[in-house]
Amino acid sequence: MKIGPINIPLKEDFSLKSILGFEKTPMNMLVAVLTLAFLAMFVVGVATYLMHGHHAYNVTREHPWGLLIAVYIFFVVSSTGFCIVGSLGDVFGFKDYMMISKRAIFGSIVTILAGFAVIAFEIGHPVTMLIYNVLSPGLTSAIWWMGTLYGIYLTFMIVEFYFLLNNNMQKARIFGLIGLLVGLAAHSNLGGVFGFLNARTISNGVFYPTYFILTAFITGIYLSFIIMGFRYKMNFDEKTKALLVGLAKIQTLLIAILMFFETWKMLTAVYGGMPNRAEVAEHIMHSGAFMYGEVLMGMLIPFTVMLLTKWRSVTTYVWTSVIGMVGIFFMRYDLVHDTQLKPLQMMKTHEYQLPPSWVEYFPSATEIMISLGGLGLCVLLYYVGTRAFNLDEEH
Amino acid sequence: MKKIETSRRRFLQGSVALCVYATSSFSFTSKQNSSITTIENIPYLCNMCRNKCAGFARVQNNTITKLNPNKYFPKSRNMLCPKGNAGIQAIYDKDRLKYPLIRIGNRGDGRYKRVTWDEAYEYIKDKLVTIIDEEKDNRSTIAYCNGEGFNKDEYIKFFGSKLGSANFLDEGSICLNTKLGATQLTIGDIGEMDVAGSDYLIISGANRYESLITPDSIDMIHSKQKLVVLDPRCTVTALKADEYLPLNPGTDLAFCLSMIYIAIKEKLYNETYVKEYFKDFDKLQKHILKNNYTASWAESKTHIPAKKIEQISREFFGAKNPLYYLGRRSVWAQNDFQLRRAMVLINALAGSVNRKGGIIFGKPFVLKQEQINEAFYNNSQGRFDLDGIVYGSQKGGSWLNFREKVLTKKAPYPVRAMFIRKHNIMQNMPNIAKTKEMLNGMDLVVVLDTMPSDTAMMADVILPECTYLEREDMVVSFNRLEPSLALRNKVVEPLYESRSMQDILHGLGRKLSKPLFAVSAKYDEDLQESIEELGAKNAFKEGGYDFTELYQNSIEQRNKKLIVSQFGLDVYTSLKTKGVWHPYIGKQKELYNDYYEYYPKEKRFYTVDRKYRVNCYLGKLEKSGFDPMPTWHSHYDFKLSEDSFRLITGRYITSTQTATTNNIMLKEFQEKNHLWINDRVAKKLDIKEGDTLVINSPIESVVIQAYPTNKIAPQVLWFAHGFGTESEELTNAYGKGASDNMIIEDKFEKIYGCATMHETNVTIRKL
Amino acid sequence: MMANYAMAFDYKLCINCHACEVACKEENGIDLGAKNHRLWIDEDGETEGDFWNLARDKITFIQMQCQECQDAPCLKACPNGAIYIDDNGIVRLYKEKCDLTLACMKACPYDARYIDEKNAITDKCIFCADTRLARGETTTACQITCPAKLRYFGDLDDEESEISKILRERKHFTLKPELGTKPKLFYLE
Ligand code: SF4
Ligand code: SF4
Ligand code: SF4
Repeated sequence: MKIGPINIPLKEDFSLKSILGFEKTPMNMLVAVLTLAFLAMFVVGVATYLMHGHHAYNVTREHPWGLLIAVYIFFVVSSTGFCIVGSLGDVFGFKDYMMISKRAIFGSIVTILAGFAVIAFEIGHPVTMLIYNVLSPGLTSAIWWMGTLYGIYLTFMIVEFYFLLNNNMQKARIFGLIGLLVGLAAHSNLGGVFGFLNARTISNGVFYPTYFILTAFITGIYLSFIIMGFRYKMNFDEKTKALLVGLAKIQTLLIAILMFFETWKMLTAVYGGMPNRAEVAEHIMHSGAFMYGEVLMGMLIPFTVMLLTKWRSVTTYVWTSVIGMVGIFFMRYDLVHDTQLKPLQMMKTHEYQLPPSWVEYFPSATEIMISLGGLGLCVLLYYVGTRAFNLDEEH
Repeated sequence: MKKIETSRRRFLQGSVALCVYATSSFSFTSKQNSSITTIENIPYLCNMCRNKCAGFARVQNNTITKLNPNKYFPKSRNMLCPKGNAGIQAIYDKDRLKYPLIRIGNRGDGRYKRVTWDEAYEYIKDKLVTIIDEEKDNRSTIAYCNGEGFNKDEYIKFFGSKLGSANFLDEGSICLNTKLGATQLTIGDIGEMDVAGSDYLIISGANRYESLITPDSIDMIHSKQKLVVLDPRCTVTALKADEYLPLNPGTDLAFCLSMIYIAIKEKLYNETYVKEYFKDFDKLQKHILKNNYTASWAESKTHIPAKKIEQISREFFGAKNPLYYLGRRSVWAQNDFQLRRAMVLINALAGSVNRKGGIIFGKPFVLKQEQINEAFYNNSQGRFDLDGIVYGSQKGGSWLNFREKVLTKKAPYPVRAMFIRKHNIMQNMPNIAKTKEMLNGMDLVVVLDTMPSDTAMMADVILPECTYLEREDMVVSFNRLEPSLALRNKVVEPLYESRSMQDILHGLGRKLSKPLFAVSAKYDEDLQESIEELGAKNAFKEGGYDFTELYQNSIEQRNKKLIVSQFGLDVYTSLKTKGVWHPYIGKQKELYNDYYEYYPKEKRFYTVDRKYRVNCYLGKLEKSGFDPMPTWHSHYDFKLSEDSFRLITGRYITSTQTATTNNIMLKEFQEKNHLWINDRVAKKLDIKEGDTLVINSPIESVVIQAYPTNKIAPQVLWFAHGFGTESEELTNAYGKGASDNMIIEDKFEKIYGCATMHETNVTIRKL
Repeated sequence: MMANYAMAFDYKLCINCHACEVACKEENGIDLGAKNHRLWIDEDGETEGDFWNLARDKITFIQMQCQECQDAPCLKACPNGAIYIDDNGIVRLYKEKCDLTLACMKACPYDARYIDEKNAITDKCIFCADTRLARGETTTACQITCPAKLRYFGDLDDEESEISKILRERKHFTLKPELGTKPKLFYLE
């Protein structure tokens, strides 16, 4: 397809028919039905939100940020992850990883779009945000930097993807490099949103900005396994296998680092019993979401499986990556929730009220529907992409 | 994209629009050309509780947008409490009574039809004529009651002086008549307590920081006296006290007796004062010493350590200006009259009467009374509710005795109709079932009120009165130490079809005067004679049968005339523009942060010339078979069976009895009441915060949520009065919390006929 | 007209009567709802021990509202530059710029902000700036109604103002000073 000087090489058979013309295996059917269901939920969720505003969410004065923020972070971290993995080949020139570049960069675009779609319904006035982000930028605000940089990043990713499609590796590399740097900057600013919370000793400091980049890389690799498994229906050729084995090895190393990170974070948090930090850390460690979600699913299971199978059983890793992604989701959810766990005021404001202890939060149906909707959107866009573009490496 | 809640502002506009639509057309036009917002600040007097604090109402476009405190009023000292601030929601309450209503369903089921004022008056007239005719002109068959301080006298003039009934009842006998009586009978005047001037203050049970009394509560905050609080419940007042003495409920008298004992035994009392003023001191001395009311004796009754009692007594009598606060609260138990007397005697023993920091007589402004021509009815019989009561209040009577006599038909004549003004008798006195039964037995029940209270739901005719912000009331004189005059000005016109009490009575009077005169003419021989002599017209006029006599002139005109003639035009102007007048109003000194000195210290009436005696011994009581002096009896002991509790009641800072629980703003602070139960007891019974409990008393049971706390004595339960409304028309209050008077037994003491609120024992069960 | 408004609390005098809170809600038309408030009173501490030997000294009532930080975390966190400090030294909001990201709510260490549903913005105490001060009054709703008159409101730049004097005379502290927010609400010892 040509639009002026722009040439977008679509697949020849791209049409509605080609989109619907997938193999009707039970697995594919399941994914299709789920995606449609999620999209339907998105519509219902958004409608509920438009009717009831934030009342449709379980967010409160004490817990102003909820599931949607977590899901937004989940998507943008995924995007950064894709971007990092994609850059391995086309920016850094690792030949083995070239074959996944286009697919990963496309993935990074799709995930960040899904993220934006979700966050739009968390922010009260998205349009106001767009206007005054530009007219009166809050330069001291980590959110401003994050938002702005992500915007730029998205542009670069699209341009990079365009050059990749057109096999213009030179330009793709340049845009890829800048995009990667901007993405990383955006991403660490997202960490900064939490790192700047000096009223919350549990999140204040350098940890989140760096941790975000590390976990982004890990997320990128998990996702790569999943999309490659999907692409090759688990029948990998040798080349792909080599790629995945390589990624698995990197992943093991990254998870090991992450485990050190987490351990030290928790140890330093608990050590000395510093008020507001120690008890929050302990509370976190006693929560199922952290222990089973983050630690077991996000780190231990994938890590142990890879160690035990000595990086050879790549099909298994596709499955452990799915588990890993569930773990990653909990990391994001906990991140948002844990930094609001401890009420800023631990006192009663009315009689007949026990002094507030831990802030409780569980997402409402609307929040869950919009979140799953984001996932559905992401899968749909990605699938349409696979039908429209040739995402494989061209020879 | 956010959902917009119906906020007050919106609702406000909504309700105003509504009322404009509903009322006359002239207010409609005045509303139309109101594009320019003018702000007016109109002085008014609060009516959210009995204090009558002064405020300024900010009015924009005929709508009250804010109530602010009035710095000129010595009594309220430039403050408005939360209720005062929320008064704006009282006038704009969507549940208000808006139109005259006549009942079409059964009593209590809330089915009414809207009628015109004339139809309502007509209905009342027909009923009254029949009743009074059937009762052969015994006007006392019409009872009438009033729970609001303002306009009470006008109300009495109408139904007492004009209509001729002897049966007036007010809140005194379910409130503090014993205290008033005890002071009056002991030192000859009800006096006033100078909290600000005291340097040592003992308070028994009165919760001055959660049940504000101006200026007492305010003075306690701003003065530096030592505060000692006795209470079976650790209230905010107790929290703030320098010393808190937790004690068994109902044993304050033992503490007081012991203080007297110590004062006498250790000769701590003010000898010169006692010598000069006390009557029968020897009797008191002998009585106290003989009964051996020692500190350790009192410890066994009160649970307050003997050492503490001694320490407090010595400090009290050693202080320069000590004050034992006489209370302002409901009556607790059978011994209440003598308890209050013991308190007065303690003050007197310390010499704290008619001097700074004590019970002062002061010098209140005495307003001239407007003269009216009182009608006389030969066939009207006297009141019966004081039968069997030693003193009793001739004015307000005894509610429980009245109700009992009416119910059991022991009254000398049937009471067939009742006029009830701003008096929620279905909630405010013990044993609601009996009140209901009493009202059900009446041929006519008329309620004048602003809100569809539980009592209004029992009425045959409901006459909507306007709120305090919509009317001018007769000028009132306040206080004795720093006396002042205050005027409630009209802030906005009455909303809907509501009317001021005077307007209501004026209309009713026009309807009633002639037909009721005709009934009298049928039965009253004196009247028949006078008609023969003077002719009907003159007999009517000269005999004072014209009920509207008082209302020939508007309140505004009457006030002006009264004030200008007695005090001059300046005072009147001050009352109209500042709401208040006192001699130093122009020279008020700001002490700090908008807190003022009103009367210069040397001008306050701490001590006045007055002859009086302190009566230790009341012979009339002796003759009637009661203690002539404060005495402890073994049945006063706090002894309960293992599994039962003593129920006590009280208030929240954000509510005034049942009057404010429907207030949408105040509701946010305390939507319902909870049951305070001692934490250790609760633990034993496995009761946790929020558990639903059933409280069983000998007469009824209620359901309420538990609040275990270490702030209440074991074997004592407390929950706030004012909740558990049954009227569905009060949409914010309906069904919230429990009603104390549902389960409090209807006992009353026999000196003043006051309901004793703290004598009910209950058991609890988890639901 | 320029001032540097601040508030000082003689906090120990508080009787937790809620008059200030109701006055504020009425004056500023705050949304109904127990959690929607610009100011509130914290009941700090509990009575301890058994009823007959109750320790009461642990309880204090503390007046809470926006601390008018001179180095305000909420202002710094806002992505749209919607928060500013006005001529009177009050932390304010350009209503039209607020996008409800709630970054300010999350950043405020004092829980001072809430969502004003009616105007769809975040709101907090602004010393009655757009109501009373705008009309030229010199008191706030809470200050003037308080029965304890414990809320001193005034101009820090005016040496002669009552608040300046009382801050010179009496020891005072601010809340969470370690965060470096430089609050302008002072608690008098
Ligand atoms: S104490 Fe409160 S409710 Fe009572 S009159 Fe004063 S301001 Fe009104
Ligand atoms: S207290 Fe909170 S809302 Fe107020 S200025 Fe400080 S950070 Fe901002
Ligand atoms: S008005 Fe004053 S005394 Fe009452 S709660 Fe507020 S600060 Fe405390």
